[in-house]
Amino acid sequence: MNRSSDKNIEPKRKRGNGAQQAQAYELFVSLLARNEPSIRRFVRSLLPTAEGVDDVVQETALECWKKFDDFDPDIAASHSESQAVPVASSLTEHSSTKDNSGATRPSQASDAFVRWACVIARFKVLSWQRDQSRDRLRFRDEVVRSLADTAIDQLGRREQERDAIEKCLQELGHEERRLVLSVHFPGESVARIAAETGQQARRLYTQVNHLRRQLLQCINRRLAQEASI
Amino acid sequence: MNSIDDQTRNLIFQAIDQTISPDDFDRLQDLLQSEPDVREAYLQAVSLSESLRECSEADAANRGTSAGTLKQSISEEQWTGPVANSIRISATRYAIAALLLFAVCSVSWWMGRFSSATSLNPTVNLGEVDSQGRNTYSDTPVAQSIGASSKQNSTQAIEQTIAGHATIRRLVDLRWTNTDASFREGDVLPSGEFMFESGIAEIDFFCGANLIVEGPASLEIESDWSVRLSSGRLRANVPPAARGFVVKAADTEIVDLGTEFVLDATGDRALVGVIDGEVKIRGGAHDGQHLFTEQQKWLGIAPDNELSARSRLNGLSTANELRVRRDDAAKLRFDRWAAEAGKIAKDDRLIAYYPISDLSPGKVVRDVTTRDNAYRVDGNVRGVESSTNARDGFVVGPVQWSLGRFGEPSVGLEFDRPGARVRTRIDRDFSAFTFSSWVRIDELDHLYNALFMADGYENGEPHWQIRNDGRLMFSVMVDDSQPVMVNNRFDNTKVADAGLHRVYFTPPVWDISKSGHWMHLVAVYDPAKRMVTQYADGKQVSSEDIQDRFYIDKLQIGASEIGNWGQPFRSSSWFAVRNLNGCIDELAIYDAALDADEVERLYDSGKPLGHH
Repeated sequence: MNRSSDKNIEPKRKRGNGAQQAQAYELFVSLLARNEPSIRRFVRSLLPTAEGVDDVVQETALECWKKFDDFDPDIAASHSESQAVPVASSLTEHSSTKDNSGATRPSQASDAFVRWACVIARFKVLSWQRDQSRDRLRFRDEVVRSLADTAIDQLGRREQERDAIEKCLQELGHEERRLVLSVHFPGESVARIAAETGQQARRLYTQVNHLRRQLLQCINRRLAQEASI
Repeated sequence: MNSIDDQTRNLIFQAIDQTISPDDFDRLQDLLQSEPDVREAYLQAVSLSESLRECSEADAANRGTSAGTLKQSISEEQWTGPVANSIRISATRYAIAALLLFAVCSVSWWMGRFSSATSLNPTVNLGEVDSQGRNTYSDTPVAQSIGASSKQNSTQAIEQTIAGHATIRRLVDLRWTNTDASFREGDVLPSGEFMFESGIAEIDFFCGANLIVEGPASLEIESDWSVRLSSGRLRANVPPAARGFVVKAADTEIVDLGTEFVLDATGDRALVGVIDGEVKIRGGAHDGQHLFTEQQKWLGIAPDNELSARSRLNGLSTANELRVRRDDAAKLRFDRWAAEAGKIAKDDRLIAYYPISDLSPGKVVRDVTTRDNAYRVDGNVRGVESSTNARDGFVVGPVQWSLGRFGEPSVGLEFDRPGARVRTRIDRDFSAFTFSSWVRIDELDHLYNALFMADGYENGEPHWQIRNDGRLMFSVMVDDSQPVMVNNRFDNTKVADAGLHRVYFTPPVWDISKSGHWMHLVAVYDPAKRMVTQYADGKQVSSEDIQDRFYIDKLQIGASEIGNWGQPFRSSSWFAVRNLNGCIDELAIYDAALDADEVERLYDSGKPLGHH
């Protein structure tokens, strides 16, 4: 990315005042950094493979910065009727603990940001797919849209799941954990590991799928427990 | 996710693994579009897969750095004497395993440790002079836990773990559907699916539940407490400690409330019958019902002709019947072997032959080579051949007479305590060696674990042992007068080694998952062909040229031990602990290099149940 394109994507409204601009940029970067994993996961779930995820996430980030002026945490966030406050101050002036002022709290701003970014990401996925050759596996546009809607509704749940996964991995036996992690290592696959270790791929798939099911059950169980506390 | 059927779930996994066919992908898309549940399940599965990828990357990264910072050069053995045969306190097998702190994903936790030395896959330097294995570790990354004293590394507490929920108690005529995924008696069963075409398996779950499953059968072990029977017949015996054990079949779970019941499952239907006690049905049409002694119930879809199907529950083997059948089969193998052993004993290439398996307990481990053969010692009998055969082995110390590889009818010698040994003396010169033995290794407790060891390790004398990473080692002393100095990694001083020799290693043939397996091990030392070849279960596992430097064709044995190493000439009271924690039930030593066919025949004629 060169300098001239940098200028092109700077949000106009925030460019007036140097200090304001810097503040907005800082805010954007912190929101993006905090939420990039969620956005990435969202994008990944709309594409049949990991291919294209980097591209789409990058394009999404650029688009978000271009449109950052339009981002209003209160509208995007919780549909609350709280009084609109400038985004920047919402992060700097309020603690993240419960406040009674009705102002947008940082976590709310963050939630709002990720929802907003995911809507943008959804469009980026669709346009990325259109640019790709027709012969590769891809979800139909309607499927992408339905998945995106469901995924946006479940952003919070995905976050909780990620915490639960770590605990559930600990519940597995050592060898099981090794197995399930090794087949998910980038560049590895069940087929490859089966070939290397001289096992039958089908048997290894059965094992791995069993572990995945076990993990999913554990995750659901943990989340249900948390919900019931 | 629970509400999704298995087929859809598999479609989802296939899509994530990118092994899905275009047609199936279309089907999945239809489901994703129309079914909110499938959408949720899909998103959750993708998310799981991504999390696992992240954890896997973090795990790998942490492993790299931790191993690096923890890597320390410590000696495999602690030396306190200047010469060979002085003290060697072998480090525990865990010295090469590492206790590593992993920070996986964002949260740190103790990931545990590598489960066994073999899984570390140490890069062992097999080149140059091997000092009876002592300096073969020079390139091995050795790690130890933080805070452990480097001198006392053998005390570090690193716990070993293996994955599993049940063990196989008995197998009778079992034919696994997939022979690559076959298991033997005594094996630990991990979670996952097990299928066999025919035969009967008796499985003990760790919780105490005992299952007898008749093939053809397909079952999936889910945990210590839960199993799914997709097809096949089983008898479940659940002692009080295992109450709550669950067998899943068709659309139903059978919760055992301390009882014995039989089950016959085929796909979406299953017939359950209580022999004695009580079970509770969970799920399906009979959810919540209890069944008592002699009651039967169809689960899932009942068949049109219930009565004929009911008779299928009759005739399911009991544990006792199974034991009898298994013992009969073992006896057949034993008899076949005994007949073979009689023929083997007449082979005039034999130096000594200890069948062991047919021994009755006592002090003597008989060498059964024919007397003619024993006396035809190239006309140069050293010592006096008295009425007892000098080559008979004598039991010393706490050797246990235990079950041999054919079960009840046979005998094996267990050397699981440091003082246990069988001593013999074989005086004569030989031109080649073949060692052939049936061995059951329970655990490789020591750095080196003896199979057959010449006492003094003088010129031409053999050492046959197995290292704690599961590699077989065969070596012959080439020149014990050559002072060979090796770097002691412990304190970086030079120490004298036993002399010039070379250790021929195999790749690992054993790990903890093979604990309790009977294996046929063979080492062939062939000076004529300048080749050392080793076999496990009839198959060649290594072959290496004898280099000029290590060439020796005048071979001897002398005073020696089975299952341990005697060092009568050592200069202190300390001795190396190398007893085999396991069992030996046949040992043959030939003054000849047996070829691959002969080795395979030995294996075939002597293999117990469980070997195909």
